Amino acid sequence: MRTSINKWTIYSLGDHALVFALTPQIDPAILHKITALHQFIESKKINGVLDLIPSYNSLTLVFDISTFLQNKDNSTEYMKNFGEALIISFEKEKTENQHSANEIIKVPVCYDPIFALDMDSLSDEKQISIASIINIHCAPIYQVYSIGFLPGFTYMGTVDPQIQTPRHAQPRNAVPAGSVGIAGPQTGIYPSECPGGWKIIGKTPWVIFDPAPTQLSRFKVGDQIQFYPITQLEFDKINEYK
Amino acid sequence: MSIKIIKKGIADSIQDQGRYGYQHLGIQPNGCMDYLSAWLGNAILQNELNHPILELHFPTAQIQFTTNHTICITGANFVPVLNEKSIALNTPIQVSAMDTLSMLQPLEGKTCYVAIKGNFENPQWLHSYSYHGKRFEKEDQILIDDQSQHINPNFQFNSVVIEKVHHFLFNNHTPIRIIPGPAWQDLTEDSIHHLLNSPYSITPHANRMGFQLSGPSLSLTTPNAYLSSAVTRGTIQLLPNGSIFVLMADHQTIGGYANLGQIILVDLPRFAQIKTEHLIKFSLTKLATAHNLYQEMYAQFKH
Repeated sequence: MRTSINKWTIYSLGDHALVFALTPQIDPAILHKITALHQFIESKKINGVLDLIPSYNSLTLVFDISTFLQNKDNSTEYMKNFGEALIISFEKEKTENQHSANEIIKVPVCYDPIFALDMDSLSDEKQISIASIINIHCAPIYQVYSIGFLPGFTYMGTVDPQIQTPRHAQPRNAVPAGSVGIAGPQTGIYPSECPGGWKIIGKTPWVIFDPAPTQLSRFKVGDQIQFYPITQLEFDKINEYK
Repeated sequence: MSIKIIKKGIADSIQDQGRYGYQHLGIQPNGCMDYLSAWLGNAILQNELNHPILELHFPTAQIQFTTNHTICITGANFVPVLNEKSIALNTPIQVSAMDTLSMLQPLEGKTCYVAIKGNFENPQWLHSYSYHGKRFEKEDQILIDDQSQHINPNFQFNSVVIEKVHHFLFNNHTPIRIIPGPAWQDLTEDSIHHLLNSPYSITPHANRMGFQLSGPSLSLTTPNAYLSSAVTRGTIQLLPNGSIFVLMADHQTIGGYANLGQIILVDLPRFAQIKTEHLIKFSLTKLATAHNLYQEMYAQFKH
């Protein structure tokens, strides 16, 4: 099942998910629409919806077949109509919504060599001083475009082209929790120790994923984040991993 | 009262139908690999279909009961024995204190379930007993509430359904049915032909997260970069080396590889039970067919 309405493409993903997608671009304006649709559908409390997963230019609605499609003779037609009607009412209601600008979350990062495992080689590769790399990494306001790979792993963009670098060909066996990495246009924070291929340039003293049901992920898709450098002494003071 | 793991298996755990509502935070749903066999075991014991259950992979854990229980073994036939005496699948079994349950050999299928009558008292995480990555260790205990173990002796689950489910899972030559995904249109004609006509098999690189397949290599008409988006259980990904990886119960929430399609939900339990030495064929199906097949299957379990 596939249909288009206004700028949206709606298509079924297998037999138990429905995707609402915009132009495939890394663009804060597109992300903003995706998160607004996420909130809109969530507020409708639709029976049988199991999950709503935003990522870059898409929102995926995962449903329980027996509840969501209960007694629907023509499920394909039903899904098409459901998707189109949802977008129409969303676009109508949206004009009445005020765009509440998200607060910028300032995240402390220690770029000290003991945490910044790949900083020296990055500085050599780019012929840019470590101090400049830190400035360039801290300058932009990043958007959280996606959360996945691991519980709480944030995909943020966009990294300044001057310091963009590919992943390691051979991932590290263990990247420590809190490590801040870059990979192509993306920057991210490792929520827990795991294998990983991103180039590590620092570490935040913040715990960004806590399995306690009231905590979970510190960030959500759509959040705006800016890093600021701290010393090792400040790191030790804030350190939430103690 | 409890059940104790006296010897560790390779990948055994408590599972239910999974944890939904948290995928936007990157939290995987988890849940049973073969939900049909889990439904069956629970239905036979008059449990809720979503009741937690023990999921065992061969070589399995050895389990000791510290009190009397009613259990039911479904799914893969690993030749279950209770104190060295062979016991039947798909039927309620009374076990007594100090009885030991072991599995001798992987005769049929890949994932076996032990349903237990009674409420579990083990901790849940986010409303589910399924815990990603948490496997049974030696000395682990499964705690069952004494008060909830009563079973109606006059009830007997429909034997025709038991037979049908078993046949559907293990004696079925229907291809695994798939619905094309967003990257299907980017496959070369040859690749589509291979995927729908050539046999594939599951490599030993297969676990609760996903199954890597072996078979003819596939390719895209133009190398394409996709923005990461949500994946589901049953998503068929094309890896950069041309091989196929199918996502299973412990799949990541987001994926950036080419999304070729999805195995329909009703066929996933059957796919989960396919052993490495068997050949797999895929065929295309329609959305409406997938929904009807699932609803028909589900209707047999409602009581």
